[in-house]
Amino acid sequence: MMDRAKAAVEAALSQGATYADARVNRLRREELVLRNGKLDSASAPEEAGVGVRVLVDGCWGFAAAPGTDDASARALAARAVAVAKELGPARVEPVKLAALNGGGGVAEYRTPVEIDPFGVSLADKLDLLKACDEELQGADETVVREASLSFRREEQWMASSEGAAIFQELVRSGAGIASTAAANGTVERRSWPASFGGNYKSEGWELVQRLDLPSHAPRMRDEAVALCSADECPAGERDLILMGNQLMLQIHESVGHPNELDRVFGHEVDLAGSSFATTDKLGTFRYGSEHVNLVADSTVAGGLDTRGFDDDGVPSDRWHVVKDGVFQGYHTNREWAAVAGETASRATNRAEGWYNPPIIRITNLSLMPGTWTLDGLIADTEDGVLCDTVKMWSIDQRRLNFQFTTEIGWEIKNGEKGRMLRKPTYQGQTPEFWASCDAICNADHWELWGVPNCGKGNPLQVAEMSHGAAPARFRGVTFVV
Amino acid sequence: MGVLDRAQALALAERVLDASSADETEVTVESEVDRFVRYADVGPTQNGDRERVDVSVRVRFGGDEGYREARARGGGDEASALAALERASALAQLSPVNADAPPLGGAVEVAATEPALATIEHGFEDKAQWVRRAVGACAERDLKPSGILRTTGISCAVANSAGRAVHGYTNRASFSLTATGGDGSGFGERIAANVGELDAEAVVDRAVGKAVRAQDPVLLEPGEYTVVLEPSAVSSILLFAAYQGFGAREVEEQASFLCGRVGERVFPETLTIADDANNAVYPGLPFDGEGSPKTAVTLVDQGLLTGPVTDAAYARKLGVPCTGHAQPQPSEAGPAPENLVVGAGGASLEELVAGVDRGLLVTQFHYTNMIEPRELTLTGMTRNGTYLIENGEIAGAVKNLRFTETLVNALSRVSGVSREREVAGALFDGEVVAPALRIDGFRFTSTTDF
Repeated sequence: MMDRAKAAVEAALSQGATYADARVNRLRREELVLRNGKLDSASAPEEAGVGVRVLVDGCWGFAAAPGTDDASARALAARAVAVAKELGPARVEPVKLAALNGGGGVAEYRTPVEIDPFGVSLADKLDLLKACDEELQGADETVVREASLSFRREEQWMASSEGAAIFQELVRSGAGIASTAAANGTVERRSWPASFGGNYKSEGWELVQRLDLPSHAPRMRDEAVALCSADECPAGERDLILMGNQLMLQIHESVGHPNELDRVFGHEVDLAGSSFATTDKLGTFRYGSEHVNLVADSTVAGGLDTRGFDDDGVPSDRWHVVKDGVFQGYHTNREWAAVAGETASRATNRAEGWYNPPIIRITNLSLMPGTWTLDGLIADTEDGVLCDTVKMWSIDQRRLNFQFTTEIGWEIKNGEKGRMLRKPTYQGQTPEFWASCDAICNADHWELWGVPNCGKGNPLQVAEMSHGAAPARFRGVTFVV
Repeated sequence: MGVLDRAQALALAERVLDASSADETEVTVESEVDRFVRYADVGPTQNGDRERVDVSVRVRFGGDEGYREARARGGGDEASALAALERASALAQLSPVNADAPPLGGAVEVAATEPALATIEHGFEDKAQWVRRAVGACAERDLKPSGILRTTGISCAVANSAGRAVHGYTNRASFSLTATGGDGSGFGERIAANVGELDAEAVVDRAVGKAVRAQDPVLLEPGEYTVVLEPSAVSSILLFAAYQGFGAREVEEQASFLCGRVGERVFPETLTIADDANNAVYPGLPFDGEGSPKTAVTLVDQGLLTGPVTDAAYARKLGVPCTGHAQPQPSEAGPAPENLVVGAGGASLEELVAGVDRGLLVTQFHYTNMIEPRELTLTGMTRNGTYLIENGEIAGAVKNLRFTETLVNALSRVSGVSREREVAGALFDGEVVAPALRIDGFRFTSTTDF
């Protein structure tokens, strides 16, 4: 396969490309969803193909096709060169690439896996789903019982004209349960351990074993039923405690996306939007309180974007996006690092499979833990709401005005966790919100949460990444109905 | 390489059917040719000249109690397709029995379709001219462009062991521009079945004109306003009724706004919404994920809510006809409309605006999402041109606002429908043939800094 990628690169160079890379990519997935006792998704897709990217006279060309023989890879390279030549006259400024930051050689990376999820029998997987389904039963109000497993193995052979010959095998697993109840004219859902099908990590079957899904099913069933008769969270200003499985999406939407340098320069405006975090703010802008430390890290164990190299061939990196509340650094690739005058890329250029050109993607981005316990945080809160699990999210195109709803909330009065609240919805502006963060729980509460469905680009590409978070408190947040 | 023609696609499906030892087998062969250019102030920024063929195989093992079934997907070469058959068979044999599943449907007739060769073959030299035009027009006004020109051809065949064999082509062409400068931005887009139907000049003029008029926006207090929603904004909210509301599964699971309202005239008589894959403006594939013919379904008939769309399984379960709206089965998703068409009204956009004493003209919504399904409570932000209307005229630009509103309430207050319609999309999947709508008392709940 690596020879095939190299053949494409050589063909591109021979036809006038000044830079070329080729990715031969093979993807295998397994998706199992048991819904009300029936397998609503029993899917085992596989695909393989080649994507070739070239620079000719400073203009990109990209071509992709299935099949992995050498001749088709060379033909694909010719098409990529032709695209670049045909579009080149319309290019105003030539693309320049920042340094490789130590990449460019022969290398290999494999996700550390204890138990290969594709080696576990289907019978064992279905038995687990059935056990979840049985535990989710028992309430007349329940209308949907769901249990899901998701596994993915991506193999990629990447070669470039700068000497890269990189093989990566990335494996991830995911699992979750959910229960939906209908009563009193309302429909409510509870998910565990998170929305979007549960939690996902770059691990094997051992993740599924640790989650112990069936033991959490009765609580999800009962909470969904209870929500149907719970009071709606009232409007007003209160303190907010976000659990990690909600805080992770707050990080994603209000820190991750505005930190992508291509958005900052306006090249994603047409669909995904731009960013308020402009380059004049770098190094000085107060993004949050002094408690807020946000670290991007494509080397952290278990992260969905933990890998050896990005699709530019740049080695994975770790850096502060926000340090002690101050904005410190962007997600970049070689192209945008050069535009911003940075010496090297942060290695966040990624494509969805072989069919798409790489674009800047959020990597694993985490809020570093503080010193509180959750019990201590609740006891220290006079008038607040504890919000758990993503239900709805929306944010403006510069990532300032956001509004989120969680599956469930609990009122906190005078340090005590009280009544359950339905549809808690909070709204705010990104810098003011992060500035109101005055307490973060300690490392014992910290967890990596996987986002399996991040959409960006046009045509839309889906990427995966993780966000680490422990429960945190935000003062004086606006709740709306 | 172009897309597979009918004979090629069905022949590949037939080879997989012949190799299957399952009790029932269904094969979907989909091929795509896609060419796109994204652009900005520096000219072309990203592009792709790409093609793919996917073969998806559904196998079923029957018994007295029902079917065990599963699906697998592979590439378009025969070896990869047969490997998909093998994986699906292995998975299906271990699957739990689905007692509700009907047998696969037999032979049907669907409307013939033709590939749009001018769209499929639209090349990059031509695309470069469109990019130059947009970049140049923005440069003249000191605006920064961001947009995409994309042409796509798709061929799809579904064949099964019960004798069904259908094939169709769909084509799509789109050109968009967001022009940004000063403290405002403007958006223009055209989507059509054929590239020849796109009017590049109109897209550029609209986006640039909107950006120019979006300068010096003032902060408007949130509250209830009469709004004129342009087709892109209409599409952004109506698609949630398609995702979550107009399908039989949501109705059965009590998670649809149709629950308890079917047969009621909930909306004004000026509002009619249908799902029609054979519509002349923007046709889709004439069959669904199981190869059943898609029938035109009037979902809102002059304000009256009718029934949901179905697939074969829900038709049997509910004792109603199959409307041909299945996803490829088995699926987590229920039947859903994918070709929404809103009936045209009698007013021009200018006439809709002229009828507003004080309100807002909304170009586009961004990141619309659903808070709850029974009333379809949605929230989202305006963007790329939000204008104050006073005494029937545009009085200036306003900073963007967030709406939080139920679709049921909003559509019940429609007071005007435009006669011009456009194919309009949204941030998430889907497109609607939509007019502009005037809606009274539309609720905005917060604002933003720009």
